[in-house]
Amino acid sequence: MKLGWKIWLLAIFLISSLILIINLPTSTSMMVLGLFIGILFVLINVKSNFGKILIIFILLASMIFLIYTQTESGLIIKSVELNSTAYNSGLRQGQIITSINSNEVETLSDYTEIINSEFIDEENKKIIIQTKDEEYILFTNTPPKIVLQEIPKTDIKLGLDLQGGSRALIKAQNQSLNYDEIQDLISITENRLNVYGLSDMKVRQVSDLSGNNYMLLEIAGATPSELEELISKQGKFEARIANQTVFIGGEDIAHVERSGQYSGIEGCFPSETGGEVCRFRFAISLTEKAAKKHAEITENLSISTENPEYLSEKLDLYVDDALMDSLFISKDLKGRETTQISIQGSGSGKDRQEAIEDTQQNMKRLQTILITGSLPYKLEIVKLDTISPLLGRKFIRSIIIAGLAALAAVALIVLLRYRKIKLPLALLLTSFSEVLIVLGIASLIKWNLDLPSIAGIIAVIGTGVDQQIVVLDESRSGVSLSLKQRLKRAGFIILGSYATTMFAMMPLITAGAGLLKGFAITTMIGISVGVFITRPAFAEIVKKIVE
Amino acid sequence: MSFKQIYNKNYKFLLLVPLILLLISLFFIYSFYQQNQDFIKKDVSLTGGTTITIYPESQIDLADLKTYLGQESPDASVREITGLRTGNQEAIIIESPLSPEELKPILEDYLEYELDSENSSTEFTGAILSEEFYNQLIRAIIFAFIFMAIIVFIIFRTFVPSLAVILSAFADIVMTLALVDFLELKLSSAGIVAFLMLIGYSVDTDIMLTSKLLKQREYDLDTRLFSSFKTGITMTLTSIAAVVVALLLTASFSETLKQIFLILTIGLCFDLLNTWFTNASILKWYIERKNKEREE
Repeated sequence: MKLGWKIWLLAIFLISSLILIINLPTSTSMMVLGLFIGILFVLINVKSNFGKILIIFILLASMIFLIYTQTESGLIIKSVELNSTAYNSGLRQGQIITSINSNEVETLSDYTEIINSEFIDEENKKIIIQTKDEEYILFTNTPPKIVLQEIPKTDIKLGLDLQGGSRALIKAQNQSLNYDEIQDLISITENRLNVYGLSDMKVRQVSDLSGNNYMLLEIAGATPSELEELISKQGKFEARIANQTVFIGGEDIAHVERSGQYSGIEGCFPSETGGEVCRFRFAISLTEKAAKKHAEITENLSISTENPEYLSEKLDLYVDDALMDSLFISKDLKGRETTQISIQGSGSGKDRQEAIEDTQQNMKRLQTILITGSLPYKLEIVKLDTISPLLGRKFIRSIIIAGLAALAAVALIVLLRYRKIKLPLALLLTSFSEVLIVLGIASLIKWNLDLPSIAGIIAVIGTGVDQQIVVLDESRSGVSLSLKQRLKRAGFIILGSYATTMFAMMPLITAGAGLLKGFAITTMIGISVGVFITRPAFAEIVKKIVE
Repeated sequence: MSFKQIYNKNYKFLLLVPLILLLISLFFIYSFYQQNQDFIKKDVSLTGGTTITIYPESQIDLADLKTYLGQESPDASVREITGLRTGNQEAIIIESPLSPEELKPILEDYLEYELDSENSSTEFTGAILSEEFYNQLIRAIIFAFIFMAIIVFIIFRTFVPSLAVILSAFADIVMTLALVDFLELKLSSAGIVAFLMLIGYSVDTDIMLTSKLLKQREYDLDTRLFSSFKTGITMTLTSIAAVVVALLLTASFSETLKQIFLILTIGLCFDLLNTWFTNASILKWYIERKNKEREE
């Protein structure tokens, strides 16, 4: 018996989707592809329907088996600190760590657990790191200076609400920005976050149904605690002497020293109010224009009577119009076109550790705004979500279980109604393929699957099952029409509800700044896949079963 | 007397059931609107405010936290999420109109540890945005409903049957909304999306029923009606089974999904009523009158 082209089409889509979803090296993908073509070839020569369904199931089972076995597990090394013990022992970027001291590592928490238990004291430890190809032995008293990442099992990108991270929706205070102004804002923000050391982020412009423009910022993974300040505070830096502006952040700054001997924490001391205070200092270079201005202003200053080492006025540093620090100006600088200036500031905390952290953060923040300059607008965060990354994994597992259980419930009802095991099996197979193809398309277009998208997939399964039942009943109706005509009728009903759903989803793409876009997009992809790929194949499978 | 006979004798009276229910629902929503100045109770994602979800290190006494919060943020609400199988407390959800900077320190004082991006999730929506957001979602639903209505008219090109489909979808939404209000559910944006999903599910069965009754000519009206009844019931029952199972399994970890599935469950149950009492009865009435006119 020959298989119709519609079933072939479904099969091809299924295979491509799987290859798109699973994170496999290209060569393995090719092998998988070849394997499946082989299986399909066998499929043509199988006579019985039951055999065919059996083989399709074997196919699906082997797919799932492949997902769990063929994907690589372990931790990939993202970077190794130059000349560290780890580097000298031979560890390099791109290697995949599979075990440490014969304990398997699959997740980052596995790794931290082992490392934390080893390095509780300052003693030298022997660490055996097993990578995929080789074994490395380290003798060290500090954790290896490497940055690791878990190997993603699939190419499916998860949204922030599933993998953790933060999302901020930002608009200008008391004014609406046009497209170009938002683009400006985005490039400054990106620059600022890059300087700050954040790279895994996306900043883009979104607008809503009423035509408001927003800047949408998304950061995957852990959220820096000062995110809010970084993106919403204007970061206007001004250095003034006797209320005259000498230089401002951004345009007047030629260079900011961020490491080395001219940058860092100077010292800590107990504060008067309890706790600890630390001071930082870093050097900056001014542009010539700013240096000239400095010379002009200091020229007119006299030498302080109380502190003969310094000038009578101080250099006041303002951030967002609030005085941050006042620095003495050495009398040697009077009237000089100096380009090198040392900026100082402080941080505090309950104990020394906290004070050091706070000081480092303040320094980093100040350096960032000095480099990037101030934002052109006063901003307002209208929405800010930070989702803990911890729950993600558990969450996804629960969603998959819920999805499978829901499908099983559907299959049970179909079985009770039609009393034929093959029909619910075909129905399950179709729904399952639908989800796989939607996921395949999602990974192809790099769509971030978030919670609204999951709801969309659920809607797709729901309408999909509904339409399949229409197909089933039309094909079984005792009407004296040919089976083909009957299935055509089912097609009319299906196209009708397809059109209503497609159009119903459209407003949601932009409503609410597109935060629920995922729902609309996955639903539209899903029902299109359903109507044009899986449903025709299902009709054909049903035809074969009924005949 | 068989089910068929009872139905054929009384189908016009059956129309009264959904009609009365629809009137009660509309009246209830009207009085709800009078009381609350809105059609629904909104959660902080739609009124503006902060939701903090804490994944606690040790069990938190809900009542104790409530009284503590009562002094600092009287409008705050506290809920807990428990594991379905274990019954253990998995998360605490605190909703408050305060901003995260105000709410966090209060909670940290109570918990005596810091809340960071690992042990908690924070969702904040500003008051202006949330209002805008809400208005746009409502607009999206109205647009969706109008689009749906236009398409239904294009498909069937006859007034009464198209109107019956639209009326039954409308009744689904109104009755579900009334029950949601009655249960005093606080809706989030996800809840509103659920209503959008409901439009889709609701017209599915109606379109199937109407095209079978109007476009097919084999067998008599009753046979076609009962065969579509069988199909439609299977469609809706599978949907209900799926959403109820999903509701039970997801309620313990996701407020968003819980709300979507709960609203869908309610809506689909009303859809059974509206498709087979409202829509089917109107259609049968319409077709029989048409047939009679033709005979005369």
